[in-house]
Amino acid sequence: MKHTIHKLLAACLAVALIATGSALVPSAQAQDDYSVALIIAQGGLGDRSYNDSAFAGLTLAAAELDVNVVPIESSDPVGEAEQLLRTAAESGFDLVITLEFSHIEPLGRIAPDYPDTLFAIVNAIVEQPNVVSIMFDEHTGSYLAGALSALVTTAPDLDQVNPEAVIGAIGGVASSGIDVFLYGYLQGACDINPDIQVLLAYANDFGDPTKGREMALAMYEQNADVVFQVAGGTGAGVIEAAKDENFFAIGVDSDQDYLAPGNVLTSMLKRVDVAVYDTIERAASGELEGGTVLQYGLEEDGVGLTEMTYTRHIIPSEFVDQVDELRTQIEDGELEVIDIRVLEAEQFAIVSENPTCAGLEELRAALAE
Amino acid sequence: MDIVSLLDATLRISAPLILVGMAGLLSYQVGLINIALEGMMLSGAFAAVVFGYELGSTWLGVLMAIVVGAALGALFALAVITLRANLIVAGLALNFLATGGTAYLMDILYNQSGTLAPEGLRKLPAVTIPLLEDIPVLGEMLSGHSPLVYVSWVMVPLTSIFLYRMVVGGHIRAVGEHPEAAQTAGISVQGMQYLALILGGMLCGLAGAHLSVGDLPLFRERMTNDRGFIALAAVYFAAARPRLTAVACLLFGFFEALQFRLQLRDTALPNEFLQMLPYLMVVIALVVISVRKEWRKGW
Repeated sequence: MKHTIHKLLAACLAVALIATGSALVPSAQAQDDYSVALIIAQGGLGDRSYNDSAFAGLTLAAAELDVNVVPIESSDPVGEAEQLLRTAAESGFDLVITLEFSHIEPLGRIAPDYPDTLFAIVNAIVEQPNVVSIMFDEHTGSYLAGALSALVTTAPDLDQVNPEAVIGAIGGVASSGIDVFLYGYLQGACDINPDIQVLLAYANDFGDPTKGREMALAMYEQNADVVFQVAGGTGAGVIEAAKDENFFAIGVDSDQDYLAPGNVLTSMLKRVDVAVYDTIERAASGELEGGTVLQYGLEEDGVGLTEMTYTRHIIPSEFVDQVDELRTQIEDGELEVIDIRVLEAEQFAIVSENPTCAGLEELRAALAE
Repeated sequence: MDIVSLLDATLRISAPLILVGMAGLLSYQVGLINIALEGMMLSGAFAAVVFGYELGSTWLGVLMAIVVGAALGALFALAVITLRANLIVAGLALNFLATGGTAYLMDILYNQSGTLAPEGLRKLPAVTIPLLEDIPVLGEMLSGHSPLVYVSWVMVPLTSIFLYRMVVGGHIRAVGEHPEAAQTAGISVQGMQYLALILGGMLCGLAGAHLSVGDLPLFRERMTNDRGFIALAAVYFAAARPRLTAVACLLFGFFEALQFRLQLRDTALPNEFLQMLPYLMVVIALVVISVRKEWRKGW
């Protein structure tokens, strides 16, 4: 009897495993339409941030273009990387976009097996003839946020700020993906005011809002009145601290201005929706070749600041004009913002060991040589 | 550096640790290793937000967090005491259940993932203590905290009184020290273990509520971030003595508050070292305490 039950259990388990493994990926519809699969990254749909933004681009593409789209969700997009990518390719999709950064290695490995499928990966570069890499200029968008912060922090007659030229930024972890934001921010701030003090710190966590709040309060004590958060869920605490003590926070990735109206100065947008829509449009019309790197910057509306719905009317309007002017200069190539991801380790060390305007000057001098 | 605000932050950071620490030492005293503190705390944090929002009162949310904590404590007790499940495995299971369960419920109830910050949910009002708040340094430091910070302070002497001055506390300690002897003396071993785990669950619920509605009005997946384990470590190093456990939690809070501030200064120390500092200092401090004690006894 006991034996039978065990067998039965084992059978159930096996069925469950097979079912979860195979039911994941619906096959592309056998039509002439161009078909697109979008592999959702960790965090899943409903994160009101990265994945949802990409999904919005996908939905828009389905509505506006002659394409079939399918989002592919997995409970473990990291562990199931290869299976997800292979199944999507074998199901006959013309374009497979993955939002998962960790697919960089498996994608490079399996892409040669499916030469007729075009792949695209976001935030990472995979050098294969049938892979398109989608990258963002986080540094230029963050530069504008830094410039605006430097202007606002010494503005007279603003309740949210003190006279001291001190601002801050809190990163999730010390990694190039986060540092590209922080050092873009530093550059923008130092170009407006070379005497500004920019406090940088890492929470070492993307999901601890309590810690984010404490860190923001510690910065506020040091007279920082604008704090840029690049720390995912930890950032919710930064915004909460700004609301409690009435200073400014700056949001990231999606428009977070509404989270604390009047205390979120702006958000540094990373328009994954724009990039996904654009990639699909270009691929469907046959304009997009594999092996290319698509760079989404200010000009493509891939990055940038929000409309500042709640703060535009409280800060001096010349600040907004000045930031717009900087934006034009970057777009025209008159102003170059350093992307720390392309620096050599020893070059980056110059500024990361001395993350101040002086350190930045040293780096610029070293790069000019 | 502003010492007052440093100590102020210390008190905020250590409050949830102290509450969980008291929970951990209760189960330690009854002879059980409770690694499920983390999961109970996370469930409490979630319950406080959900019920606080649904019932329209944050205080009712806190109450429900305590109820949920007690229920999980009872469930854990049922598994490990009555059904004799392995303590560590059952504890791990409860932690996984809490992590996955809160994320799942958030998804099906509110169609949200990551962060749950329902519109209209308010955090607990800060408590200003009359007279005390007017005293310059002390007032700034001690007044104006979230109410559960004060609850955490009260819990330390209460736990001490409960364990060392009350009959039932004596029974709990007897069970922990020598279950067979306690049983012979007519004490219900299982009863005491149930009691300790349920009381611990309530304290965990309270600690979770402090995280989600004490200083912030929001729940975040895995927001407890291993605080349950830090508190457990404090309990072990302090050999489950209430005051010493609280001191260990305060020490951790102090160095955490300090490292946030040191990161903002130009120190020669790398950030990674600073982030390790709170953990390191707790270990060092407790080793010193323990060595001194042994020294006095004569080796």
